[in-house]
Amino acid sequence: MANIDWHGIETQTATLAETLLKGYAKEATTDARAFQARAQQQIAEWLEELANKEITQKNFASLVRGERDLAEMRALKQAGLAQVALDTFTSGFMEIVLNAALAALP
Amino acid sequence: MKAFVAFDKLPLFLCAGLLAACNTISTYDQAAYEHATSAKVDALAVMDKATGSYSEHQGKIEALNLTLQKAYEYDKGRPLNQITIALWDKLLNPSGDLLGGFLREWKEDGPMLPKYVANKKDQVAQAFDIIIGLESGKIKPSQAGSKP
Repeated sequence: MANIDWHGIETQTATLAETLLKGYAKEATTDARAFQARAQQQIAEWLEELANKEITQKNFASLVRGERDLAEMRALKQAGLAQVALDTFTSGFMEIVLNAALAALP
Repeated sequence: MKAFVAFDKLPLFLCAGLLAACNTISTYDQAAYEHATSAKVDALAVMDKATGSYSEHQGKIEALNLTLQKAYEYDKGRPLNQITIALWDKLLNPSGDLLGGFLREWKEDGPMLPKYVANKKDQVAQAFDIIIGLESGKIKPSQAGSKP
């Protein structure tokens, strides 16, 4: 009967998970921080434009609500990218297991 | 005894196979990517005209709406693509504050202030970039099922 390298499967799966999922988490955190910093700066600029009558109060309110819409879109995008990372992990895991099984065949 | 151990691990192989067959999100689609990038260029060009009257640019606005509708319907027809559809819904919602809301506002309120147009263009460009970024982040069909 084939002698499968279970330790090898475990090690490779752990490396795959660490690379994919930690990489995804780091990217999501960086993206969220950049968005927050940018939104704060933009709101300050719009307040100045409002004071200078370059935009109206209605414009200002719409721009702020637009930032909220963008924040929701970013959250949706991150949820999508998390699914991509999960799918990539899943297919990588399958390949590790199948390769180990094939390598163990006499 | 070894045979028993191997049978014991059989569920792992089955799980691996089943998991691989269960993608949770659509793979990358070149046509969808191109629809979105092209719609972005058209939308920003039309928004540039919003310091003028809506009726004066109605032809271009209608052409833009058609382009947006084509991109939306294409994505709607793809399986496992609910997140991208939710992103389009946010962007195009006439009651929202991105492109759909901007076009409604232009129609209802008339010409807009240049600074406001510039700021909204920036927001709409970001919204398109989110849709485009998700699409380009998806697994390429050639990579699906192979080790990353």
